[in-house]
Amino acid sequence: MTAQTATRLRQRKAPLKMRLVPYLFLLPNMAIFGVFTVWPAINGFNISMYSSSNGRTFRWEGAGNYQRILTDEDFWGIVRNTVVYALSFVLLSVVVGVMLAVLVDQQRRGRTFFRSVFFIPVLISPVVAGLVWNWMLERQNGLINTFLGSLGIPEIPWLVDNNLAMVVVIGVGTWMQVGFYMLILLAGLQSIDPSVYEAARIDGASRWRQFISLTFPLLQPSILVVVVLATIHGFQAFDFIYTLTGGGPVGATTLIVQFIYENGFVSPIRYGVASAGSVLLFCAIFGLTIVNWMIGRKREAA
Amino acid sequence: MAKKSRTTARLLVALTAVAMLSACAPGQVEGQGSSAAPTAVKSVDPAEFAGKTLNYVYFTDGPDAEATAQLISNFEEKYKVKVNLETLPYKDLVTSVQARLSGGNAPDVVRLTGLTDFRDDLLDLRGYLGADYAKEFLPGPVVGATGKDGKMLAVPSDLTLNGPFVNVDMFKKAGVSLPDPEKPWTWTEMIDAATKVQKATGSQYAFAMDKSGHRLSTILNQYGTALVANGKAELDVEKAKKALTPLIEMMGDNRMPRDFWLGSGSRYAGANEIFLAQDAPVYLSGNWQVGQFAKNAKFEWAAAPNPCADNCGGFPGGKYMAALKEGKNPALAAEFIRFMNTAENQETFIKAGGFLPTRKDLAEKGVAYPARQSDMDVFLKDLARTPDLGYAANSDPAFAGSATELVNAVSDVVGGKKDLSTAVSDLQKKTQSLVEELDQ
Repeated sequence: MTAQTATRLRQRKAPLKMRLVPYLFLLPNMAIFGVFTVWPAINGFNISMYSSSNGRTFRWEGAGNYQRILTDEDFWGIVRNTVVYALSFVLLSVVVGVMLAVLVDQQRRGRTFFRSVFFIPVLISPVVAGLVWNWMLERQNGLINTFLGSLGIPEIPWLVDNNLAMVVVIGVGTWMQVGFYMLILLAGLQSIDPSVYEAARIDGASRWRQFISLTFPLLQPSILVVVVLATIHGFQAFDFIYTLTGGGPVGATTLIVQFIYENGFVSPIRYGVASAGSVLLFCAIFGLTIVNWMIGRKREAA
Repeated sequence: MAKKSRTTARLLVALTAVAMLSACAPGQVEGQGSSAAPTAVKSVDPAEFAGKTLNYVYFTDGPDAEATAQLISNFEEKYKVKVNLETLPYKDLVTSVQARLSGGNAPDVVRLTGLTDFRDDLLDLRGYLGADYAKEFLPGPVVGATGKDGKMLAVPSDLTLNGPFVNVDMFKKAGVSLPDPEKPWTWTEMIDAATKVQKATGSQYAFAMDKSGHRLSTILNQYGTALVANGKAELDVEKAKKALTPLIEMMGDNRMPRDFWLGSGSRYAGANEIFLAQDAPVYLSGNWQVGQFAKNAKFEWAAAPNPCADNCGGFPGGKYMAALKEGKNPALAAEFIRFMNTAENQETFIKAGGFLPTRKDLAEKGVAYPARQSDMDVFLKDLARTPDLGYAANSDPAFAGSATELVNAVSDVVGGKKDLSTAVSDLQKKTQSLVEELDQ
């Protein structure tokens, strides 16, 4: 009898009560998770195949809601906006996040202060952040144009030009979240063994060379986490955009969650269409997360 | 190998479970479990109400809250009952009442701006108040409270009317004469006057209006068309183009605030602050602003008659009191609605809130408002000029959705995405499909 089989036998012989204990500890959490997350999610799939305006009576639609969404020209415009926003947001979050993390990491004094300064926007309610930026970016009386005006720069239509509004939304979205990503990357940076830099310095590697050949590759696991989280955040962006531009001008910053919200909560209410939109969003995020994860695993294996 | 087949088996089990769950309808399938509405009037002895409790879900426009509380306390005293007044923010009202209906915890009475989201859930009040009760109210507002087969699903409890306001100080400064409420101005006259005042006073804009499909419908109505009415798409493309052209032109040269229109996306935006800041001499909104302006305006202002095109008059809105079928005390709910809408009580309520009456007797007698009587009279005069099409449009189940599309259409033109002809014909197609979806 090998030691392994002996352990297995001992485990098998453990009384039922003992074997149940871990599950009992998990039960309250799992019950809450099941009732408030798993069940509504499954029900969301289910509702996407019905039409309902009140959440109580349902009419079978089959794939009708999906067909309706996928043949709607406006929806494809929204998909384009969402992709533009999410890609730019992920890219900016990683670039700015890494830059801030490296800069903060190199501070000898005031590291905690800078960490807090960049993290503060994460703590602000997105609705409030949207309203404040809206007030600052107003063309005629906004703080930013007033300041630019004093430098002789003419008024810039931040929120009423289609492309500029998207740039603003991406910028504000990044500003709000980048502090959080910076913290993840900072933790990653601090876990890199300082002796590798020492060795590089002895070999005469420049700062830039050290960043490219050491910091960046060794930071990749943290960057992967940031990419996955930023992708999810990017596709789910809504609240601050709703108060900043309302999805305008002319739908130029309307993203998919606003589409879902407006179908689900603005008259005429269409729960089926809103659920079908959510399922499509789920599939997109799920697919992208799997791709990110697989790329990460391949890299790790290599 | 064994690991792979185990994973596949698990996946299959999970998929089967999801498929089985999906096979069940998420709720009641349409057409099941509907109950017939009562037709014969039920006689109830008011003494039977004693000790009962009534839940009233309410939203407030501000000054009406106090009057409502007072009327409720009179009702409680008269019938020896308890009324739980739940005041919700307006934007949460529909979803909150829907959630309570889903949870089997329906309130007895609700205050609503339209019946669209609740039509199947409302009690036919004829069973308690009699078929002739509706005749006590003006026919226009009653249209919005009437369901299929003449069911009385609600009682119109107050009426609002869209209309313009003018900054009297700016008009005087510019030497431009004010419009005569007895002989309303035309659209051209109104825009000319507003532009002259803007030029003379140097104000930022000439004209402002709320960014709302309901407010835009005022102009459609004045030009003789509507988005939807009586279960049909009613939009006349040529008339709509004529109606919207002045607005598009004014936003083109910023006589009307273009940024304000484009900057809030699909959200509603009120232009009252533009008027209060004296940035525009003419502002199209509605009578509910009277109270607010009386309190906040630091200049002389007045309600002006609606401009005429093919029609004169404004565009109606208002609120309803409705009882829910699922409520615990339908007879008490109906009695409460009747009590709140007696001539005396409705007068108390509308005086406090600055609303217009829905009762025929009050409309005939006239209402003495505590302040700004002359402005309210301007709206009352316009009420008589308002065409029936407005009531039919505002009460159509497809109106809210179509109104949103109307705002989007105007934004498309102002934002340079479409020309007016394309935007209006696209709008017509959208209203058509909304009617097909909602007016069944």
